Amino acid sequence: MERDIPTYSLLLLIVFVMIPFTIAYIYQLGLKKEIIWSTVRGTLQLFLIGLILTYLFDLPPLVGIPIMLSVMILVATFHARKKGKELPYIFITILVGLIGVEIIVLSMWLGFGMISFTPEEVIPMSGMVIGNSMVAMGLALERLKSEFEQNRGKLLAALSLGATPKHAAHMSIKKTLNAALIPNIDQLKTIGLVQLPGMMTGLILGGVAPIIAIKYQLVISISIFSSVSLSAIFISMVMYRFFFNKQMQLLNLQDIKKNG
Amino acid sequence: MSEAIFQFNQVNRLVLQNITFTLREEDRLIIFGPSGAGKSTLLHLFNRMDDPDQGEVLFHNKPIEQYDIPQLRRSVGLVLQQPHLFPDTVLDNLKFGPSLFDDWEEARAERLMDYVNLPIDYLNKSVDELSGGEKQRVSLARTLANKPDVLLLDEPTSALDDRNIEAIEEDLIRLIEHNHLTVAMVTHSMDQAKRIGTKGLYIEEGQVIEYGDINQLLENPNTEQLKQFLHKS
Repeated sequence: MERDIPTYSLLLLIVFVMIPFTIAYIYQLGLKKEIIWSTVRGTLQLFLIGLILTYLFDLPPLVGIPIMLSVMILVATFHARKKGKELPYIFITILVGLIGVEIIVLSMWLGFGMISFTPEEVIPMSGMVIGNSMVAMGLALERLKSEFEQNRGKLLAALSLGATPKHAAHMSIKKTLNAALIPNIDQLKTIGLVQLPGMMTGLILGGVAPIIAIKYQLVISISIFSSVSLSAIFISMVMYRFFFNKQMQLLNLQDIKKNG
Repeated sequence: MSEAIFQFNQVNRLVLQNITFTLREEDRLIIFGPSGAGKSTLLHLFNRMDDPDQGEVLFHNKPIEQYDIPQLRRSVGLVLQQPHLFPDTVLDNLKFGPSLFDDWEEARAERLMDYVNLPIDYLNKSVDELSGGEKQRVSLARTLANKPDVLLLDEPTSALDDRNIEAIEEDLIRLIEHNHLTVAMVTHSMDQAKRIGTKGLYIEEGQVIEYGDINQLLENPNTEQLKQFLHKS
């Protein structure tokens, strides 16, 4: 039997929202509007997605899945590009990266018979992969920019010793990838111990046996881990080049913007 | 007359205007002038860390753009104002440049440490353990590891205290003479200019005001601008 939360209980969620709201009020955090707006927006978004999903699940998979995946990838691209709007070709790079990651992950899932090609399975699983990849690309971009900013001196030193941009940037890229991957490694290490991961929680609540829920969780956790790594590496390897010009000179962010 | 190593012909870049001069073999050119005169910018044009907007720079009588950039930077070494060492051991820093060109033999490490007056057992030390003066010595040795013919020095002692400045200057002079290096150096200290330099280039607001023998410039300046600058410093 399907479980459901009664609508009146859902309305009582407002009590939970009042907690951060009150804290924001007492400490004058200037977040009151933000909290209300994000709650309203989040609620509306979710209900809207619920409606859309209901509609999409009724469409033939070959129509519904591509439509939903395209929307998810586009929204994720628009969101992640904010973190690197100073850099040229940022939109197309993120777009290509996310499409690439989704194709790789989806081929593995379907190829190894882990999931079936139905909207109910492909869309939520892809959503998690695309969402996490989007966050990873954003983090990598922010980190890359701050690495180049902070290590200007070392980069200049490396170039002046005859290093190519690739060589000179090696250290900064290494640190960027470290920063982007460590949270995921930590998460994977403590999975199930600190918190039951979202997907597993959902399946168990939906009445699926824990051992089956764990199998799905494993598939998604490992998929997220590898797609996050791929995304961070891809975006760093493509984007570091724009910090240098053809004459192997180091540019600063303003110059990159001008050149791009 | 000795061979021209660098020729700057009417070079313009940012604040720099119509810079023209020649750097000859084993010259030790001191570039000096008020802050913001364009000294560091000028220094970066020697190894293409920056390029002129107009004018030409000749290296060994050939336009500088015709050289392979990493090779050019290898033979025209730059020591920055701050050491900016890589977060590894001293040895890793010394090897960095030569390894890029597959030209490193372990024996060179000891010679380099000797040049800059650091004990050999420092080679395996992490750079975090070094003092400011020691770091700048490693930075100098790291540039020398590439066996440059020309050495560019951008106020290499400005971050050091007097005792360290004197010691590094002595080492510098010794190794410049020993390796027959051609030098272009930016400095704020006129005493240092006198001790290290053979030639001087005084620039103000991006223009060459005086160029010639360093002692001549410092003792008998021709222009009002240089007289005033020397009077102030």
